Amino acid sequence: MCSSFFWLHILKKMKKRNNSVEMPIIFFLLLFSPLFTNAQLSKLVFAPQWLPQAQFAGYYVAQEKGFYKEAGLDVEIIHPSASKQTTSLLTSGKADLISLFLITGVSAKNTGLDIVNFGQISQHSAILFVTKKSSGIQQLNQLNGKKIGVWKSGFDEVPKALMARVECQVEWVPILSSVNLFLMGGIDAMVVMSYNEYDYIINCGLDKEDLNIFPVSEYGFDIPEDGLYCLKSTFDLKKNELKKFLLATLKGWNYAANNRKYAVDIVLRRMQSAHLAANRVHQEWMLNEVLEMMSVAGKNIMPGELLEADFIKAVCILSDLDRTWQKYSFADFYKSLLK
Amino acid sequence: MKNKTLSYHIIRNVLLLCTGLFLVVFSIDYYFTRNIIEKTTKENAILLANNTVNRIEQVLTPAEKIPEIVAKMLESSFLTRDSLIPFMKAILSSNKNIHGSIIAYEPNYFPDKGIYYAPYVFRQGDTVNAIIHGDESYEYFYMDWYQIPKITNAPYWSEPYFDEGGGNIIMTTYSVPFYSVKDGKRVFSGIVTINLSLEWLTEIMSSVKILKTGYAFLISRNGVIITHPNKNYVMNQSIFTIAKENNQPGLRNVGQEMIQGKSNFSAANFTNSWIEGKFWIGYRGLASSHWSVGVIYPVTEMFSSLRKINLIMLFLIVAGLSLLSFVTVKIVSKLTAPLKYFAESARVIAEGNFNALLPEIKTEDEMRELHNSFSYMQKELSKYIANLKESTSTKEKIESELRIAKEIQLSMIPHTFPPFSDLTQIDLFAVLRPAKEAGGNLYDFFVIDGNKFCFTIGDVSGKGVPASLFMMETRTLIRSISGKGISPAKIVNSLNKSLSLNKESSMFLTLFLGVLDITTGELYYSNAGHTPPVIIREKGEVVMLEKPKFIPVGLFDNFEYGELSLTMEAGDKIFLYTDGVTKAENADKKLFGEDALIQIILAYAAASPRDLIQKMEECISAHVNGYTQPNDITMMTIVYNG
Repeated sequence: MCSSFFWLHILKKMKKRNNSVEMPIIFFLLLFSPLFTNAQLSKLVFAPQWLPQAQFAGYYVAQEKGFYKEAGLDVEIIHPSASKQTTSLLTSGKADLISLFLITGVSAKNTGLDIVNFGQISQHSAILFVTKKSSGIQQLNQLNGKKIGVWKSGFDEVPKALMARVECQVEWVPILSSVNLFLMGGIDAMVVMSYNEYDYIINCGLDKEDLNIFPVSEYGFDIPEDGLYCLKSTFDLKKNELKKFLLATLKGWNYAANNRKYAVDIVLRRMQSAHLAANRVHQEWMLNEVLEMMSVAGKNIMPGELLEADFIKAVCILSDLDRTWQKYSFADFYKSLLK
Repeated sequence: MKNKTLSYHIIRNVLLLCTGLFLVVFSIDYYFTRNIIEKTTKENAILLANNTVNRIEQVLTPAEKIPEIVAKMLESSFLTRDSLIPFMKAILSSNKNIHGSIIAYEPNYFPDKGIYYAPYVFRQGDTVNAIIHGDESYEYFYMDWYQIPKITNAPYWSEPYFDEGGGNIIMTTYSVPFYSVKDGKRVFSGIVTINLSLEWLTEIMSSVKILKTGYAFLISRNGVIITHPNKNYVMNQSIFTIAKENNQPGLRNVGQEMIQGKSNFSAANFTNSWIEGKFWIGYRGLASSHWSVGVIYPVTEMFSSLRKINLIMLFLIVAGLSLLSFVTVKIVSKLTAPLKYFAESARVIAEGNFNALLPEIKTEDEMRELHNSFSYMQKELSKYIANLKESTSTKEKIESELRIAKEIQLSMIPHTFPPFSDLTQIDLFAVLRPAKEAGGNLYDFFVIDGNKFCFTIGDVSGKGVPASLFMMETRTLIRSISGKGISPAKIVNSLNKSLSLNKESSMFLTLFLGVLDITTGELYYSNAGHTPPVIIREKGEVVMLEKPKFIPVGLFDNFEYGELSLTMEAGDKIFLYTDGVTKAENADKKLFGEDALIQIILAYAAASPRDLIQKMEECISAHVNGYTQPNDITMMTIVYNG
């Protein structure tokens, strides 16, 4: 707004001087001033699948650095509550696009939600089983008969599929968000994200040496996680905007990767305004881990794309879990905007 | 270097020793004082942590009783479902610390109430309200406050959290599980909680004052900061994230001990990012909630009193050493001041002024002794020099007398050559080279009755004036005796008798005396212990006369001396000498000797008496090479021309 006033002020001065030569230049400049461009921005509401944290740093950076605006988008980022599934925001129309784990997306489409994946940000799985060394659990199959904490709000398909694969009968204990039950010894193991709960446990005073971890990726379950989804109808209507959104988002992630302190600063600010406990150490850890999982090395795709093999892996896992499988093709599920 | 005086050396050594001593004392004092401060601070820290823990427990422990009692009441069916809310409202009304309370039941505990049933009473301003909690948006079964005590079968203090309303009030929940008996089994039925606002906790913690910049803080079971003077840390950081952010592994270890409920005062230094400097930490766990109170002591402040004392001590040491140096300089300078005067006096005395003034010494110490010694030295030197002067003048007098004696000695012997211009038959040449002191050599010759040529050579025992006098007496006697008769034996016997009369002198002399008949060439001679003369014949024959058979003259008055004779042909010579010639020695104590004498005579047998003697002198001179001779050297050569 300030700059708009600045330009109007200049314009008035010019008129007073009656300088007809400079007038076209002024109009040209005005055309690009925020006062005019604002009117042309397309509004998009984006909902990441969790509360503000460095997992979504790329989106915040794209927003704050004006990458979305440069692309002609007015992006609003809203966050779901810890106990709500993000897909409900799509159906309720509160969000135009959301981020979901690949497995959640595949599963949601399976249950009849007509969504499409138009961008795959994460390319690897960050899910770990973590146990205390003191529990004596050294091998994954020793989890048989044990109590394992897992998120109540979803993201549970892959760990459950892995347990089924290794034929472990376990007692799943749904947990909202904290690691306290694990720390208190109420459960034998817990499913955690390497970038989040695992580091949180470390930040509660347990040393890495006190823990055993079993990354699901090491057991053939390296399923990509965060991807971008919208309703098929939205995709058909705003394909162009979604492409701009994806490109600006990737630009945001790239900037975050090269300016990590800046990115973490933004994350911390957003967490504080959401009254969330926030500290740099944990968010730095998270950003580093999340960026590492975005690597497409060895996949023969561009960043932001979904590999069909990963899709098939996700489908197989869901089949294993004995859910009613409705067949739909990879093309139905994934709409590449980068080719 | 010139300035390195006695005072300098004394002060330097004293200062070095004192500085060393002070440093040792200072170090020991520093070490022990530091230890005492550490110990006292540790005790204070633990006491402070204990007090703070007690103050917190005074609130938490009674608060724990309420849900525990309610749980018992629920288990004993003392409370009916309808009385729950009024009962809980009553509890809140009478316990101002409690912000809210919930009784949450297991799913379908009351079949008519459905899955969720959780009456909740809470404070809203001054009133206490109640609602029935629980629906799909509030699935309390999965919340920590419900799930953890349910699974662990134990009461649970939750991790502190921000108030649901989004305010800045930090809350904590104490949950107690309750059970009912179904089919004879104890079955988990639900949870009773109370919610406590922790504002009072912040007040307690911020009221803890430690020195100027020290502070107390509280962490949860997970290490999360609950209270801290840095508000940004509260609920955002854990002690472990702070440790990582500041790269302080020691702090992480402390944090681990704290959440294990241990109590200690950690000597491990660590720095703090929000306040500069090193800190020590004391801590103690809370038995109820397993939180832990930490008290931070800034090292700089802990030891500030020590530093102050050290500065004062250092100042006193420096001042003391300065004073010591000053006083030492004064004392040493005062004590050693006379030394400078003594040195000056010594120089003046050395220049010959024995009456130089000595410094005045009032003390009875080594300086007094030095003064006395100097004074004594002055007196003795004066005396000695006076004596020296006297003896020198005496010596000079003697030497002058000796010189006169020597002159007399030389003046008494004939030294005009040729001596007899009218007596062609005889030619001679003689020399007498006295030694340093006047000696007792003599030679003499004279003519008796016109045709008798008497000649003599002798060597008096001893040296100096007595020898000279004795020699003069001898010469006079010979001259006077020889007038009475012309026999050498008679002359020598008479001389012996005369000289022997004066026994006190104990002097004697060797003597060769000859009388040559100028007309016939007949020579009568008597040799009283003298070196034998050499006869040089005209024909070239050189003969040393026989060794003397008679003792020196002047020893025994009744000794009878005899005489011998030989005939001299025209051109024959006789060479007479004293033992100063053969005994002439060089620096190597090598004597000139008779052989050398004969060799020279042989070589110059045809030379005139003057030439022969001069040549002999040259050879002796060459032999002794400047070495001072103890004996007179006397030579005489007589030619009989016929």
